[in-house]
Amino acid sequence: MKNKSFLGIVLICLLSLACSDSFLDVAVQGGVTTTTDPKLAEKLVTGVYNSLLQGDSWGDGDIHGFAFITVTNIISDDADKGSTPSDQAVPVGDIDNFTLTPTNKFAETLWSGNYNGIGAANQALAALATAAIDTDQRDVWMGEVRFLRAYLYFNLVRMYGGVPLVFRVPKDADDANSDITFKTRASVETVYDSIENDLHFAIEKLPLKNNGHVTQGAAKSMLAKVYMYQKEWDKVFQLTNEVINSGQYKLVEDYATIWRQVGNNSIESIFEIETGEFNNANLKIDNYTVSQGPRTGGSGGWDDLGWGFNTPSTSLVNAYEEGDFRKEATIISIDNSGTRKGTVLWDGFRIPSSDSVQNLYYNYKAYTSRESESYAVSADKDRPKNIKILRYAEVLLMNAEAALQPTVNQPSFAESSMKLIRERAGLEPKASYTIEDVWKERRVELAMEHDRFWDLVRQGRAAAVMHAAGKTNFVEGKHELLPIPNSQILLSGNVLAQNPLY
Amino acid sequence: MRRILLVSILLMMALHVSAQNRTVTGKVTDVADGSGLPGVSIVVQGTSKGTTTDAEGAYSIDLVTGEDILVFSFIGYKTQSIAVGDRAVVDLPMEGDATELTEVVIVGYGEQRKSDITGATATVKGEELTRQPVLTATQAMQGKVAGVQIISSGQPGTSPQIRIRGVGTALAGTTSLYVVDGVLTDDISNINTSDIIDMSILKDASAAAIYGSRGANGVIIITTKKGAAGGLKLNYNNNIGIRQASNLVEMANAAEYSNYVQAATGKAPTASGYDTDWYDVILRNAWQQTHNLSLSGGTDKGTYLLNVGYLNDQGIVVDNSFKRFTVRLNNEYKLLENLKFGLQSSYGNSINQNGFGNVDIDAFGNIGSVYSDAYRSAPIIPSIVDGKYGNTSAYQNVGNPLLDVKNNSIKVRENRLQGSSYLEYKPLSWLTLRTSIGADWRSSLNRGYYYQFNADESTFVTSGGNQYRSLSSLNVKQTTSFRWVFDNTASIHKSFNKHDFTLLIGTTAEKYKQEWFSANRSDVPADPDLWYIGVGDANTSQNDGGGDAWARNSYLGRLNYNYDGKYLLTATIRSDGSSRLPSQNRWRQYPSVGLGWVLSRENFLQSQNFIDFLKVRASYGKVGNDQIPTDAYTLRVAVNKPYPFGGSTTNGSQINQIIDPNITWETTEEYDAAIEFELLQSKLSGEINYYNKKVENALIIIPIMGNLGDINGEVVTNAASIENKGVEVSLTWRDEINDDLSYSISGNATFNNNHVVALNGGQAIWGGSIGAAQGYTTYTDNGHSVGSFYVLQTIGVFNSEAEVAAYKDKNGKVIQPTAKAGEFKYLDKNEDGVIDDNDRVFAGSYQPVAYFGADINVKYKNWDFGLSIYGNAGNEVYNGKKAVRVSGTDNVEKDIVYNRWTSANRSQTEPGANVGNLPASTYFVESGTFARINNLTIGYTFPSSFLERIKVSSLRIFATSQNLFTYKKYSGFTAELPGNPTDSGIELTSYPTTRTIAAGLNIGF
Repeated sequence: MKNKSFLGIVLICLLSLACSDSFLDVAVQGGVTTTTDPKLAEKLVTGVYNSLLQGDSWGDGDIHGFAFITVTNIISDDADKGSTPSDQAVPVGDIDNFTLTPTNKFAETLWSGNYNGIGAANQALAALATAAIDTDQRDVWMGEVRFLRAYLYFNLVRMYGGVPLVFRVPKDADDANSDITFKTRASVETVYDSIENDLHFAIEKLPLKNNGHVTQGAAKSMLAKVYMYQKEWDKVFQLTNEVINSGQYKLVEDYATIWRQVGNNSIESIFEIETGEFNNANLKIDNYTVSQGPRTGGSGGWDDLGWGFNTPSTSLVNAYEEGDFRKEATIISIDNSGTRKGTVLWDGFRIPSSDSVQNLYYNYKAYTSRESESYAVSADKDRPKNIKILRYAEVLLMNAEAALQPTVNQPSFAESSMKLIRERAGLEPKASYTIEDVWKERRVELAMEHDRFWDLVRQGRAAAVMHAAGKTNFVEGKHELLPIPNSQILLSGNVLAQNPLY
Repeated sequence: MRRILLVSILLMMALHVSAQNRTVTGKVTDVADGSGLPGVSIVVQGTSKGTTTDAEGAYSIDLVTGEDILVFSFIGYKTQSIAVGDRAVVDLPMEGDATELTEVVIVGYGEQRKSDITGATATVKGEELTRQPVLTATQAMQGKVAGVQIISSGQPGTSPQIRIRGVGTALAGTTSLYVVDGVLTDDISNINTSDIIDMSILKDASAAAIYGSRGANGVIIITTKKGAAGGLKLNYNNNIGIRQASNLVEMANAAEYSNYVQAATGKAPTASGYDTDWYDVILRNAWQQTHNLSLSGGTDKGTYLLNVGYLNDQGIVVDNSFKRFTVRLNNEYKLLENLKFGLQSSYGNSINQNGFGNVDIDAFGNIGSVYSDAYRSAPIIPSIVDGKYGNTSAYQNVGNPLLDVKNNSIKVRENRLQGSSYLEYKPLSWLTLRTSIGADWRSSLNRGYYYQFNADESTFVTSGGNQYRSLSSLNVKQTTSFRWVFDNTASIHKSFNKHDFTLLIGTTAEKYKQEWFSANRSDVPADPDLWYIGVGDANTSQNDGGGDAWARNSYLGRLNYNYDGKYLLTATIRSDGSSRLPSQNRWRQYPSVGLGWVLSRENFLQSQNFIDFLKVRASYGKVGNDQIPTDAYTLRVAVNKPYPFGGSTTNGSQINQIIDPNITWETTEEYDAAIEFELLQSKLSGEINYYNKKVENALIIIPIMGNLGDINGEVVTNAASIENKGVEVSLTWRDEINDDLSYSISGNATFNNNHVVALNGGQAIWGGSIGAAQGYTTYTDNGHSVGSFYVLQTIGVFNSEAEVAAYKDKNGKVIQPTAKAGEFKYLDKNEDGVIDDNDRVFAGSYQPVAYFGADINVKYKNWDFGLSIYGNAGNEVYNGKKAVRVSGTDNVEKDIVYNRWTSANRSQTEPGANVGNLPASTYFVESGTFARINNLTIGYTFPSSFLERIKVSSLRIFATSQNLFTYKKYSGFTAELPGNPTDSGIELTSYPTTRTIAAGLNIGF
């Protein structure tokens, strides 16, 4: 009897903890989930914009960082690798010299960076579709997100050719690995179709002005550019005329200010990657400015501005006509006169002469002023810089190029567009223009603005120009595109096809 | 006694002739309680004739002429030889002999005699641990136990890594569970080694199954000291010693450097007159000392122990140190005859100064960069001249290593309270009820101060470069965690006839909560009294915070049964629930069963005196591993993803991860079979163990394509299965030559084979990233060991341009067209005429084929001497620091300067002078085989005659050395390189291993 009562006590002791099922329901601490944030959809839209600031070139992904600079400028005849010969010989030197392989890190991070942005966009679209929000507002946000997705695919198709079209987010790893569309490259045409699709939607839904968010004008200009790459000149002509006639944009007076802080979101700007501050820190594209800052060399002795990459080439230096204001506004020329007077920049900052500097030219458009511009953390060498992706001058140039095409043949439009561009540059307008004139104008107007290489490919003369610039490793039919990252091919189980000759 | 023996012998001799056939009877009893001892083996010396005692301890044996001496042996008792003489009755009270077999082993929620255990366990005594001048008890255990690999770090204040029976996981936690007086923890750096009585290691799944999902990586149970009834005892011990780097890598001096740079770049550096040995600059001989004072005593109603310890361990890297103060109070009270109450508590306070990895900071301030900077810095740059630093940054874009250390002050202060209390009630002789509550409270404050300094003549000998900080800054991070565990058990013990049952049932519940916040401001003055957040510029202030919480709940049961001490059975079951898993996978059951057969207790082994103890055992068990991040199955939104629209910043969010919502436990299934024995009057004892451990559902990072919207391209899921198979052998020879001299020699070796059995649709994992130039270096794939090196194969060095041109693929394509004489020739494995990542080959793994330890202990009169050896064999390590050479101005190892390929010295293994940036290849993979004298100790215990005069009850003085000598093939600092399963064995920024020479005393009053 006594034993039984003790057994009872034991059981009570043991069971005292057994009852509470909720004991194990411990929520993730400090983790916002999709259900705990009522303003999630709206925030995810901002998050897509945020993804444009990716600059983790050696890590998770790059959209507009050092890798972007490398495959748009350094790769072209406008710029050399810069810095010291051995610095970043891999992966940057390999891209500059066309000795890159499918394992090139930057080719990998550009792939993942742009797709990270597309993933953020797909998530935002999924959230917007179900969020309890005003339909008009929903349309505008969807328009913004689809514009951004189109832009990212436009980057991808120019870098890699046809790529897998991802329009949804996989549920889990199984889903990710089993859906063949994630591993299969769509044709270049199909990718362009999807880009056009998104941009048409954006044009329909976006307003003319949108508080710093993307606008209808941006969508139209972007679509014009997309058509230009496909040589659908009548559409380029029509869309650029619509943008010109919208009255929303004009050229700023002083070309040199476009890339300074005062030029942020100017009347000329159609779509730019914006930077600023957040949480008492710089909000920026990592390494965009520091990678291009003038670098100490020789006898040194000064606190330099950066790593010294992406240095304007002598080919670019010589491309400017006499008296072109744009040359001084684009290129920092290091004093090599032997007088040691140095180079004084617009804000009074003096760079020593060539015996203390690594390279002879640097990109002025990437210069930030510690003293004359304001930043959350001025002491940081890697200061924020807005990147102009589309500005009115380019719309005029696209208009001119389209106008001169035989299928459009409206040379007067070219003349008026080119006149605006050349007059601002301090140059006399010409009586008439050839397509080559527009190409040349485009080169100097948009120098170091991440378009030159793709322009050459688009114009079908990449091989000729590269060879002329001494880049003899360039193989026609191969180097117009970056290799599909080897890691991605492996992850696809070799389903993802490599670009020709890699 | 001696006299009796003499008389007996004389009698024996006298009676020798007259002896006839006769019967001798008697009873063997336990000297302690007078009870009869059944099963005692009685053998006539010199014959195989013998018998055993019956259930009451009685025996009867027939002797013939000439048979006089009976040898009585029984496991757990001292073997005795008795001359019968003319006696017809020989009764023998046998004296207990505390060998390992009779010792009780703590097995988790209870204890068992070693001889009755059916799983794989091992015990290490506290005195074996305290002998070594090392920080943690875990470190002191290195080489002592078969199957337990301990990878040490030389850095003060860090815990070594333990791998019990190989690597069983790729991604989940690998830390063994420590149970300190019932409190579960994963870090024992707060435990003073001299507080420890013993450590029990539960190695296999059957032994660890009682800990269920906590037992996958093995369990180490630590029992701390208690007071004993009797008068007040006071004990003081200390050791004071000096540490130094044990194996340095010799770098080129100024002349050699210039010569090499000239050869590599065609341009000799400008001579400076300086010749700096950078390792000499950042390393030092460091002091370490420990002091312990303990006070203990008690009555039959209660006991107490108070132990106060202090440890001060200077790091061998300048400015690095670890100090720890501990207090332990263990009390036990007998409230009633059948009611016991106990309390074990400890307080620890530690300060870690400039330890690596304490705070994540910028590239130039991180002490981790000190090592790679010291490797790369040119010897022609001075370290410091008249208070001004040499400007390595201006010269070669590498931070001055001394300044790396001096330009910041990072301090981590931790307070920790850990303890448990229990109430044990024995209402009936066969029933024990026990309830206990344990708690562990930790609070740590990380403070990093980063000095402001310029890249000009105020800091450097010459101005320029990138090493400067324009604004000082202060980071603080406060972390507090609290964990409690509540155990309730009932244990029933019944014995009848030859049956012996112990049944344990219980519940355990555990909860953990952690919270942290951090703050950061710039422009804080350099005066340490001003290092507070409020002093800094408010316009630069940033803060962050977060937390973690989880809970576990389990039910457990264990049955131990033995029949006559011969047939053993242990069966356990534990049902585990964890909040870390999604509700559909939350509960799992972990069963185990173990069987044992003590052959030496069988009759057929009684009539011999070769085998004293022989047991075979086999077990099967299943345990789980839930050491995954708490939020692994929850999709979290990445917050604070802002964008400045038109210059005004709006906050945003991203969903940039793909997760597996069905994460479940990793499950380890293990088979274990062993034979245990004691031979030759227990002089030789040992154990041979075979195990086969298979982990299913191992969590791995599945890399997914980069186009799916997962920012790091990885998903954590249960995919892989990993197998570890092996054999463990331990042998001990113990002998007492005479009263003055005794010795023991023991050794153990473990042979382990680890490989991935299946990835189950998952993808092989890349790991071991070295940086931009080399990328990944390991690959975890089917059929290979976890974390195998996977690199290009060097097949020689090109001697000439002609050889470059002649190295063609099957289509006649030159494979390395841009190579030059003196550069490596790589194997074109896939024969596509190009050297790229597709040509990588498996080049071994960091996991040793075998690891081993040996101990020799000798006692001669008052002297004692101990030697321990530890080593491993058959593994590879990756010389990652050699791979951080990325520029032509980087320094180079002295050996490379002399052994490199030149047109005169056509080395085929060492390339010609180069500017670094070599791809990952077998060149960087080196043998990890090493053996070292882990500890060498000599001690002297003062004789009691002397002690009485100075009123001291015990006094021993000793000198000891840790890591005195290492034999290794590896050219780097150390082949002992801890890390995660997929990136271990890579020397990149490892703290150099240290050698310690110390002396101390242990005095009792």
